[in-house]
Amino acid sequence: MASNPQTLTLAQQGAKLGRWMTLPTQLLLVFIFAFPGLMIIYVSLSWWGPLEGVPWYYAYESLNWFENYIYLFEDERLWGSIWRTLLIMLVVVPVEFFLGLGLAILFVDNFTGKRVFYSILLMPMMIVPAVAGYMFYILFQSNGPVNQLLSLITGFEIDILWLSETDNAFVAIMIADIWQWTPLMFLILLAGLLGVPEDQLKAATLLGANWGQKFLRIALPKMRIVMIIALVIRAVEAFKLFDVMYVMTKGGPGVATETISVYVYKVTFMELEWSYVSAIGFAILMFLTALGAIGIIILSNAQKKRLANVVD
Amino acid sequence: MSSIELTNLTKRFGDLVAVNNMDLEIKDKEFVALLGPSGCGKTTTMNMIAGIELPSDGHVSFDGNDITNTPMGKRGVGFVFQNYAIFIHMTVYKNLAFGLEVSGTPRGEIDQKVDDMAKLMRLTRQLDWPAERLSVNELQRLAIGRSAIVRPNIFLLDEPLSNLDAAFRAEMRTELKHLQHELEQTMVYVTHDQLEAMSMADRIAIMDMGILQQYGSPIDVYNRPENSFVARFIGAPSMNLLDGRIVGTNGSTKLDFGDIGNLTPDGNDPLAQACQNAQNSNVLFGVRPEDLKIQPSGSSDQVLSVKVTFIELIGPRSIIHVEGGGHQLKVVSDNQETIEIGTPVGIAPTGRTHLFDADSGQRVE
Repeated sequence: MASNPQTLTLAQQGAKLGRWMTLPTQLLLVFIFAFPGLMIIYVSLSWWGPLEGVPWYYAYESLNWFENYIYLFEDERLWGSIWRTLLIMLVVVPVEFFLGLGLAILFVDNFTGKRVFYSILLMPMMIVPAVAGYMFYILFQSNGPVNQLLSLITGFEIDILWLSETDNAFVAIMIADIWQWTPLMFLILLAGLLGVPEDQLKAATLLGANWGQKFLRIALPKMRIVMIIALVIRAVEAFKLFDVMYVMTKGGPGVATETISVYVYKVTFMELEWSYVSAIGFAILMFLTALGAIGIIILSNAQKKRLANVVD
Repeated sequence: MSSIELTNLTKRFGDLVAVNNMDLEIKDKEFVALLGPSGCGKTTTMNMIAGIELPSDGHVSFDGNDITNTPMGKRGVGFVFQNYAIFIHMTVYKNLAFGLEVSGTPRGEIDQKVDDMAKLMRLTRQLDWPAERLSVNELQRLAIGRSAIVRPNIFLLDEPLSNLDAAFRAEMRTELKHLQHELEQTMVYVTHDQLEAMSMADRIAIMDMGILQQYGSPIDVYNRPENSFVARFIGAPSMNLLDGRIVGTNGSTKLDFGDIGNLTPDGNDPLAQACQNAQNSNVLFGVRPEDLKIQPSGSSDQVLSVKVTFIELIGPRSIIHVEGGGHQLKVVSDNQETIEIGTPVGIAPTGRTHLFDADSGQRVE
């Protein structure tokens, strides 16, 4: 395998050309990520705020090194908001997953009116989250349609304070999120299900497999990647939950339903503590990056193990 | 024990009639090939036997029991798909064990049966491999083994050899036939390759345009094709079919082929009787290239005068293409003498000949 500097192999030429072709995008990404990233790190190491009367690049004048980061650990409101974010994520993502999967299974076979139901099912996803939040805000008023409907069904006067009692507010927010995002889960999982080779399912049927066996042994393994993608997308989105919740409760009553996004928003625009917000943002970014890296390492190890089997 | 009976079986896809009023009876332990060009309805017929598709009309019965409406999983048929439909995310072992595992067979028994089947299919070394690593030839054996392991009484194969290379295909033909005897199963085999059908099947069902054309043993369909479609489809190189007319002159009949001459069958030839029966009608005269012989031009009045246009070498023999009076024929020659392109020659039938009605294509005897 002699390769001299004058003659590049086709693969090397391709790689070289590829680097040139992607250069503009790479430069753009440097400006999008690197510049604000470095700025945030810089500001987070000071007391700088928009009311100081000095531009941000003079932040070194109030340099405090890691004071903001140390405060992170003592900030109970922050930890409360993180805990609530995780709680919502851990409830809504699995619920959306199983609802979406169930619906997807129903939609694999043809039935009359499939197209109509399909369109209706996808509609919530198309609605602007803030609008959806406002819709649920109206629905969950104490004299709103939800309570009226419950009264009608049960025959008792139902007067649940959906949005002003902590536990109820959580339930209301989760319902809104599930309503809006189950369709996305449904769409991704349906694509995964339709990608399962039909002849393999037929072969399994002819070998005597029942529905459950076919699903577990043929469909599920083939859908694994799609399922992981769907779960990751929704988990990340749920972590960033903001619009619906802000419109419905503004994090209230008090700070009882505050998620991480709402908390960061409040610190930024109401308390104007920009250096501290920078510290929060950077810490979360680091945390999520580490989490993502661990996930990728686990996945690629599994992949390596599988390939090692193939080559044995 | 498993025989198959198809009665008035019909399948329509919208306006298209894929299978038209088909009757077929397959005996227990028989190896039947469904043969025909693509789009002739052979795969649809097989799918209806397996229950993958439901007939628009008619019935399918196994051993006299009507199973037309039995779902495919409950029919107990083995099915080998054209593209094998191997579970590529599983190991070879898991593929073989699938049918046993889903029916709740004890592990020890599964191991035993998988080992036996792997031996039979020469896959023992590959048992722990992921199926995606197998070669096409191995995939093909795995597909057969996976279906055979549950011991179905009826085994259906949909063009299983069409993806294989020529050498392995020849090997698999022998092996499949052998396997069928070993497994003692009724086997239905779909193919468009007449050689596969001829070499393996006990009986061949030839289909065209959704209609069963002829059903009989390979020798039968080869020697006595019932219509011009079968005559043309069976045998390679395919049978010569010449447009001609039967003319009767004072008690004797002759086959007139226009410019290239005519033939007068002698009294003992079955052709003479056939000609008697089709007096003064247009016919297709069929003769296999093997049953024609090249003779010097004009050597007797029983010779058709033609010209050599092309010579195709096929190993020890050659196919000589000849032409004359708008007719094109092929003659298989054993290379005894050298013939040059452009030479006028005579050809004469030396063996079996066939006569078909020019309009209906049906055999005349």
